[in-house]
Amino acid sequence: MEIKIEDQKNIRILSAMGEVDMHTSPELRKHLLKAVKDKIPIVIVDLKEVSYIDSSGIATLVEALKGMMKYKGSLKLCSLSERVKEIFSFAKLDKVFEIYKDLQDATIG
Amino acid sequence: MKTEYFKEQLYTLLEFTEIINSTLDINDLMNIVMDKAKSELEAEACSILFYNDKTNKLEFEIAICNNQDTCETLKKKISIELGQGIAGWTALNKEPLYIEDVRNDKRFYSDADKITGFITKSIIAVPLIGRRGLIGVAEIINPERTNYDKDIFVALCKQFAIAIENALLYKESLERERLKHELEIASSIQKSFLPDRPVFTKKDFFIKAVNIPAYMIGGDLYDFVDLSNDKVDFIIGDISGKGISAALYMAKLISDFRHISVLNNSVTATIAHMNNIVNNAPMGMFITAIYMSCNVSKGHIEYINAGHLPFLKIGVDGVVNVIDEISGPPLGVMEYEYQPLTIELQKGEALLLITDGVIDATGMEGKHFGFNRLLDFVKKHHSSDRLLELLIEDINVYSRGFQRNDDITILELRRL
Repeated sequence: MEIKIEDQKNIRILSAMGEVDMHTSPELRKHLLKAVKDKIPIVIVDLKEVSYIDSSGIATLVEALKGMMKYKGSLKLCSLSERVKEIFSFAKLDKVFEIYKDLQDATIG
Repeated sequence: MKTEYFKEQLYTLLEFTEIINSTLDINDLMNIVMDKAKSELEAEACSILFYNDKTNKLEFEIAICNNQDTCETLKKKISIELGQGIAGWTALNKEPLYIEDVRNDKRFYSDADKITGFITKSIIAVPLIGRRGLIGVAEIINPERTNYDKDIFVALCKQFAIAIENALLYKESLERERLKHELEIASSIQKSFLPDRPVFTKKDFFIKAVNIPAYMIGGDLYDFVDLSNDKVDFIIGDISGKGISAALYMAKLISDFRHISVLNNSVTATIAHMNNIVNNAPMGMFITAIYMSCNVSKGHIEYINAGHLPFLKIGVDGVVNVIDEISGPPLGVMEYEYQPLTIELQKGEALLLITDGVIDATGMEGKHFGFNRLLDFVKKHHSSDRLLELLIEDINVYSRGFQRNDDITILELRRL
């Protein structure tokens, strides 16, 4: 998995590519925890190029969400593939995370 | 005179070969061989630098000289880029170097001397190359003796490199064995957290469970708690992640569940309590779970599905329904008021609850076992009293030869 980082005003965009699983999620976690530590107001995780996310990947997002809630930050997910969308909606995780259609919606939403 | 010289060289060669073959302990091997090389060449110091393929640098593994502080400083503070200094050049070019006066060689990296206070005058540096590639570089510093045979020296270093590689492989295999043994112990401890017997009966309720971790330890859990004359609670769950962290948390949660289900007298109170506990789990860990509280006299079941897979209801006539109502997100994700759902179980009816290891079992062409195959299987074998065993056999046949990545837990609840 590769992660591309882009900083805009008050927003950090983390674009992940590949599968987010127990082997790759530590890399995503490192970037998310850094954003939490820096108290970035809005973090968008762009999952456009992510084909699969397992429970350790979701746990990484949950950890970041909880960390950001402490300083009233906002964690947004966008561009979920059908497979990833199913995983989220099935476990009612779509009620937990702010999920957007694409990066543009996430940025302005 | 020439014969005497060759005889001496041959003795040295044999002596080194004997030392090289004398031990599989990596530290003993490197220390004994380098100490011998140092005394043979009447050198002031010697060292071995290992190549770290993660950092792409050379790091001091062994340093032998008269000043212990110098050796410790080298090991703790100094690492060398490939191509940097004499050792870096040797590693990069995979060729030995014999430098009689380092002052005349631009490749010499003087920072190590500056840090340690050691004065390097001359160096012999030899690459150590094993079957798996570059291991590192051996260095002899300030050798007094210069009338050694370079070909024999290089040949010895080749043997030495293979011996180091063998010792490293031996160390790795010992480590693997130790880890396997530790995991076997962990596995038996983890099993002890699950109910003593995988079968539980109360009045006409019959519960049977099977739990197969993908590796030796797993993050799935199930439990039954016998609460009062008419009541039995049970849980099936899947902790996020895998391996030791999930297994440890599984052990904690089962203990908590036994305590909490007795402490609280309603499904909502128990699940709220559990959610509160998992909410404080480290690293965002969460658990998808179905928790059921059954009145075994009436066949009335109150349950919570916290982000877990649907379960199956098997009718007397073999009609199988998928019960996919979800009460809320997995436990530990957020504060949430889970609303209980209900289901009635008539005599002869059964429920089948699973974790995702069942449907995610991988077979030919990477295809998953899937929910539909599970449905078809249950429809076909719904009345068998060996339903669980047959299902496990079917999953094993389906995924034979493929690595299982997820734990499998299946729980069958029947009203006889």
